[in-house]
Amino acid sequence: MTIKSYDELSSLELDTLKEIGSIGTGNAATSLSALIGKPVRIQQPEVRIMEYNEAIEWIGGPEPITAGVLVGMSGQLSGIMLSVQQLDFVNLVLESMMERTIKDYMELGEIERSALTEVGNIMISTFINALSGLADLDIKLTVPAFTVDMQGAIMAVPMAEYGGQSNYIMTIGGNFICNGKEIPCRLLLSPDIRSLNFLLRKLGVNSGE
Amino acid sequence: MKMAQGSGMLITYALGSCIGICLYDQRIKLASLIHIMLPLNMEPGRKNTMKYADTGIRETLKLMESKGASRSRITAKIAGGAKMFEISGGNLGNIGQRNIESVRMHLKREGIQLLKEDVGGSVARTLLFDPATGMACVRSYGRPEMIF
Repeated sequence: MTIKSYDELSSLELDTLKEIGSIGTGNAATSLSALIGKPVRIQQPEVRIMEYNEAIEWIGGPEPITAGVLVGMSGQLSGIMLSVQQLDFVNLVLESMMERTIKDYMELGEIERSALTEVGNIMISTFINALSGLADLDIKLTVPAFTVDMQGAIMAVPMAEYGGQSNYIMTIGGNFICNGKEIPCRLLLSPDIRSLNFLLRKLGVNSGE
Repeated sequence: MKMAQGSGMLITYALGSCIGICLYDQRIKLASLIHIMLPLNMEPGRKNTMKYADTGIRETLKLMESKGASRSRITAKIAGGAKMFEISGGNLGNIGQRNIESVRMHLKREGIQLLKEDVGGSVARTLLFDPATGMACVRSYGRPEMIF
């Protein structure tokens, strides 16, 4: 069945997306580990389809400041992928790569911003590579864009781009474990609805009728 | 959409490309705050009226009039419409600008005077509106608070 909105996904389709979330996050963790030169393990990620307001509560409210890396997808799958980098994550990267940490995002200089952009970009690219390999899709990615601002406004970006189609958003949340510490990893994958149907069809769980 | 009369601060959080529209009838101190996400409602059946600039403004004005507000006295203040990410190529990220244009156009079409605005740029905004005074306040990251 072709779906018109995320909330129409069947449990089989949801399970398939969850599997993609797991595989993608696993790959992203491996690339993060290579970048920071430390072993990074992951806990079973949680893939959820949530309404926008629910997603905002899930990530910790609209106003806290966070960093976000956004990559646009086009080709056989179009949409947006976001990596939301909360302070723990930022400090893991900065400490490993530059031996410094920050208490406020205001302390981020040009080099730190560039490093975080690249880490987000590589994690997203690895995730999408795993996805495109799995579903045999040709997906093109834009250069990454970086911002530091209220997380509610960052999370609203995929909603505004595809908000005419659905009030739902797909979130992939897991914890990276590094140096015995749990670091939340927050990824948002937002294919447009046409692409989502195409993806499910390619994976053989959506007949397209 | 939130509405209050005389007291009780209205607030909407983290407007990125979205726009917060404060509509206010000074005489009866009736205030509304709409948080729109997209410029035009093209949904079949036009549900979710408050998500869109056109239907959001129209429906809110009707509601305010049913509570005794007069169209000729209602004024507007708006904030939002930022571009959160600078993305090269494609038309991704232009939604803020399209929202600003649509809100201005629909206010004009409904005959509502736009008193003040804090729109565009690249920062997210939290918008507060005080029904007692008709003053709006914008909070952003890395920018002083703005009252207008």
